[in-house]
Formats: sequence, C-alpha cells, structure tokens
Amino acid sequence: MILQTALLIGLVIFSVLAIVLRDLLKSAISLAVASLLLGIIFFRMKAPYAGAFEISVVAGLITVLFVLTIALTKSGDDVRESKIANWVFPLVFVAFIVIDALVMKSLLGKVPALPAAAEAGGFGDVLWRGRTLDLIGQIAAILAGVFAVLALFRKKDKHE
Amino acid sequence: MIILFIVLPLIVAGLLPIIGKVSRRVLPDALANATLLALLVYAVVAGRGLIADGPVLQQLSWLGEAVNVRLALDGFSLFMLMAVSLVGLAAGLFSIDYMEHYGAKANFYALYLVMIAGMNGLILATDLFSVYVFLEVAAIASYALVAFGLGRDELEAAFKYLMLSVVASAFLVVGIAVIFGLTGQLDFAAVAAGLKEVNAGPVLGLVTAFFLLGFGLKAALVPFHAWLPDAHPSAPAPISAVLSGLLIKVSGVYALTRIFINVFGLTPALSAVLMALGAVSIVVAALLALGQKDMKRMLAYSSISQVGYIVLGLGIGTPLGIAGGLFHLFNHALAKGLLFLTSGSVQQATGTRDMDEMGGLAKRMPVTAVTNLIGSLSIAGVPPLNGFWSKLIIIVALVQAGHPVYAVIAVLASVLTLWYYLLMQRKAFFGKLNEKWAAVKEAPFWMTAAVVLLALLCVGVGILFSSTVTTWIQPAADILADGVHAATGSWGF
Amino acid sequence: MSNTWYLYLFFAAALIGAGVLGLLGKRNLIKLFIAIEVLGKGISLILMGTGLAKASLLTAQALVITYIVIEVSLVATALALIINVYRQTKSLDVRGLSKLKG
Repeated sequence: MILQTALLIGLVIFSVLAIVLRDLLKSAISLAVASLLLGIIFFRMKAPYAGAFEISVVAGLITVLFVLTIALTKSGDDVRESKIANWVFPLVFVAFIVIDALVMKSLLGKVPALPAAAEAGGFGDVLWRGRTLDLIGQIAAILAGVFAVLALFRKKDKHE
Repeated sequence: MIILFIVLPLIVAGLLPIIGKVSRRVLPDALANATLLALLVYAVVAGRGLIADGPVLQQLSWLGEAVNVRLALDGFSLFMLMAVSLVGLAAGLFSIDYMEHYGAKANFYALYLVMIAGMNGLILATDLFSVYVFLEVAAIASYALVAFGLGRDELEAAFKYLMLSVVASAFLVVGIAVIFGLTGQLDFAAVAAGLKEVNAGPVLGLVTAFFLLGFGLKAALVPFHAWLPDAHPSAPAPISAVLSGLLIKVSGVYALTRIFINVFGLTPALSAVLMALGAVSIVVAALLALGQKDMKRMLAYSSISQVGYIVLGLGIGTPLGIAGGLFHLFNHALAKGLLFLTSGSVQQATGTRDMDEMGGLAKRMPVTAVTNLIGSLSIAGVPPLNGFWSKLIIIVALVQAGHPVYAVIAVLASVLTLWYYLLMQRKAFFGKLNEKWAAVKEAPFWMTAAVVLLALLCVGVGILFSSTVTTWIQPAADILADGVHAATGSWGF
Repeated sequence: MSNTWYLYLFFAAALIGAGVLGLLGKRNLIKLFIAIEVLGKGISLILMGTGLAKASLLTAQALVITYIVIEVSLVATALALIINVYRQTKSLDVRGLSKLKG
C-alpha cells in the first residue's frame, strides 16, 4: 500500500510538472513518465491489460505524437505564459488538494454502495462478450480519428 | 436489426475513401445519401411496426454466441432516430452541391456518416459508458467537420469547441465512474434499480451536478454556451445545420433527459434547476442574437435560445410539458436545419454572411427567400407553422403546472425571436437589391431541393400537427412520462 | 466499500483538478492539450480505482482500454488541428486566436 501511494504521488507530481514546465519537450517527457507510472500502478492493481495499454499506447504512441507536433511547430514554442497564472497555479492547486483531502476524509466509508455483479470468465469474455457495443464504438472512434486526420492534412485545392 | 442504424453508416464510411479513388464526386454523393435515405425509410416504415408491442430490447448473437450488444428501441429513441435521419438526409442532399468547392468529398461524407453513426449509437445505447463512447465518436467527427474548410476561423472555432467539449466529457466520465462505484452497474435498467435501493443522497447530487455540467456544455445551455456561437457558424453550412439541428440535441438534450428522467428519476429540485437553466438560456441568447450582424452567428444564438425552450418544456416533467419539449425539439431541428441551409445558399451566392451587406436578395433568390421566411416564422412561433404548436403546448403546460412567470417569459421571448428573425429577413432578402448582387443566381438544384423539402415539412407538420403529435411525439413522451419505470419495468429485466 | 476507493478518488481528483487549472491558465496550445492529457489520466485512474473497489477489475479494464482508444483518436485530431493552426498563424499562442474568448 505504501509503495502504491508513493507511485500515486509520483504520478501527480509528474503530471503537474508536465503542465508547469516551460519547455514543451520536457513537459511531454514528464507526461510520458506519468503515463509509465500509471501503467505500473495498474499492474500493481492486478490490471495487466489496462497497464500494458497505458504504457504502450499512452506513454508510447501519444508521446511520439506530441514530440512530432512539437517538432513540426518549432518556432511556436516561445509563447509567453501569463505571469499571474504561473503564480496562481501552484497556490490554487495546493488549496484544491487540501479541499480534496478534506472531502474524501469526510466521505470515508460513508457512501453507501451496492456490490457489483460477479464477473464470469476471463478478460476476453468480459471485453468481447460483456462490452461488445463499446468495441463497435472503438472502431467508430478510430474511423473518426483517421478521417479527421485525413481531412485536416489534405491538400487544399480550391478548384479541384 | 436495429444495429443497422449504427453499423450501416460505419460500413459505408469505411468504404467511401476507397470509392473516392474511383469516382471523386458522383459515387460518394449517391452512396452517402442513399445510406441516409435507407435509414430514414427504415425508421419511418419499419420502426413503428417494431415497437407496436412495446419497447424492443435487442440482444444480438454473433456466430451463435450471445454477445452483449444491448440496444433498446422505444418511442423516444425511434423518434430521435427519425429526426436524425430526416435532417441528416436534408443536409446530405444539400452537401451534393454545397461541398463541391471544398474538395475531398469522399472524406467529407465519411466523417459525416461516422457522426451520424455516433448519434444513432448514443440514441440506442442502454449503458452509461456506451453513451459516453458514442458521444465522443460523434464529437471527434464533428471537430474535423467544423474545421473542414481549413480556414483560420474554422480552425480556431474547432479548437475552442474541442477544448470545451473535452472538459464536458471528462465530467461525464467522472459522473459515470461514481455511479459505477455506487451501484456496481452501468446498464440503465440496473443503475435505475440500484439507485432506488441505495440511498446515495449528496453523492447522487454531486453526480447530477457533473452530468448537468457535461450535458449542459454539450447542449450549449447558458452559461455553458460560449463555444457554440463560434463553432456552428464556422462549419460548412450543412454541418452547421446538423450540429445545431441534431448534435446538440442528441448529445445534450437527449442524453440528459434519458439519464435524468429514465434512470435517475426527475426530482422537484432537478426539475426546478432544468427549468431555470432553460429560461435563462431563452432570454440571454435571444438578447444576444438581437445584436448580431453575421447571419449564421445570429442563427447560432437562436439555437441556444430554442434549446432553452426544449429544456424548459422537458423540465416541467408533466406529460404535456414533455410532449411539448419533444415536439419543439423536432420542429427546431427542421426549422434550424432549414435556416442554416438557406444561410449557406446565401453565403455561397454572395460570399458574405454580413447581413448589412446583403439586401434585396429575394429578387434574385426567390426560393431561398421564401423558404428562409418559412423557417424564421416557424421558429418564432407564428401560426399555423409547426413551431407555433410546440411553443403553445409548452406555454399551456407551464400554466397548467403552476409556473405563470416562466410562461410569460416564454411568450415575451418568442416575440423577441420574431423581431430578430424579421430583422434578418428584411436586411437580407427584402428592400432594394444591393447592386453588388445583380449577378447573383438562385442556388443549384440539390441545395434548393433540400431547403424546399425542409420547408414543406415545416408547413406540413404545422398543418397536420395533431396527427404528428399522436404518431411520433406521444409515444416518445409516454416513455419519458413513465420515468424510472420505463427503464426498470418495460425493458424487461 | 473498501477505503482504497477513496485513496484512488483523491488522487484522481487531484489529477483532474490539475488538468482543469492548466486549461484555465495556460496559453500555449500544446500546453493546453497536455493539460487535457493529465485530465485523461485522472479519468483512467478513477475508472480503474472504482473497478478495484467493486471487485470488477475486468470490466474496469475494458472501460479503460476503450477510453484509451478514444483518447488516441482525440489526440490525433487535436494535434492535427494544432499543426494546422500553427501553419496559418505561425504561433501557438491562444491569444492569437481572435475569437477564442467570445
């Protein structure tokens, strides 16, 4: 449990770094580290499939996409961030964490809940038979993403 | 096979890029519109027969094994499917001519069909997480469609739309996760039954707030409306028509009412909040619309205002109020679809959306002018057009339920609506012809055909309003008036 | 309901809070999108934590995987938009987007 909590704290720290770091490349890498930690957390929760997905797709693929975008928009990264926001962000975030902790503490064990239905079979059964509609949704989402990228990177020709 | 509503557009969308290599225009046009027509025919002809003996819950089997594709078709979802296919078909026909100069037509139709599939999936899903999945499918396709012109305004609007929409769906998933934590279920019926059993009090209140925020952003209710007046005008006209006419209603209003009324159960407090949000949207957006010079921007603000009417009607919670809200949803989909399409005709003919630059276009584009007038009067609620009846039902329901103040607001705002629409009509179409537009011609065949179709429907539904209400609106309203029982009882769990 | 649920809820809420704050305060388009990614991590965590607490880890994994697939589509679309914005304006500054605050 202590190790898990430490991993969770690390996850939050790297995520916050990803937001506050000035250099885009560094923040993309922090984000990848955060994903990696999240993947490990999932493994330790005995959720290996989600963990593998998190590490390969989010820490891997999405980071590549980010780095590619950062490289393609090279001279655009000198955006001056607002000074006030740089100060306010940590303060508000700390306040938020405190409120968050207080709320969770007050809720602790107080939320009534029903037990879930027992799950039958392995992961494949649950994914393929339990949530088949989501798989159709995934296919649709992938199609949407592919067509969106094709549309946005098409050669614009007014007189086609 | 109600799953065809989701799968057919997806399959055609998957084939379109390949077909687009063979034929750049004709085949994609024909195939996409044939698909939409097929869905419309299916919904109108077969759908009513399917639900004649009560709601259908379809559990599919694949290769002999039962898979969990649970889709529910009841009066409410059939009504929404019909509205989606109808307005979707009109916008698809309009695109045949309108999208010509954008290029990449096959790609456009592919995205368009994925968006339709996403909306249909959301309507048929019976599971909270599936609702989120299909909501996001429709949303991703719509970001690309808003930016389809690749101009600066389009890209900016699409990015802003994406940002706010992602926040909305984040709140939705958090709400869904908490519901999952409370009841251990995601299925509508099981969640509804579970929530009855568990006394979740304040936590359920928090989830309700998350859902209100998420769906409120999707439906663009004031004060969550900031993205809509940029996103909807920037999109190509047929997409504006579908976004304003359908998407905000499916992913905002439909999902919100389905979950709040059929799953959570409408409490008096929730009803009061919905009505207040609706009333604020009506008034604020109508006042903002008044000051707009950009034709499509004005229409976008008007959409927010009309969604306010719909939510106000549904929020009353009485059978009559629900029927009025649903009827207005349908009428607004027709009329606002029509108006965005005519504004597209005008923009293509003149190259501008600024109403001050237009003037006297009725002489050059008589069909567009007349259909635009029909749409305007319908939304403003002038008898005997369809919008009049739905507003009347909402106002009567408000008075019956003992909310005279809201009724007065609804009446006054509809006067305001009439005012700004007549202002638009006068500036753009009536008066002296601006000399710049001497060479302007009427819109091409398919664009005209699409607007005439919608205008005829506006008039037809207005004249035959009582039979429309009994065949389409009442079965839908019955499901909602049934409240939680509709999910737990009649879906047979 | 085990108390670990609240632990995961706490950290997930912290991530979501950081993401929302980043969205409000940042001006670089890519930064804004990194904030959205942080938000997404919070959501994956809340889904998984809830699954663990309900002893429905398999369902939760199915949900998380679906969520990740959707996220990839979303990221691809958004980054394509950002690159297009950059090509037009040569800047990644949100303030360059004239209408963005309307």
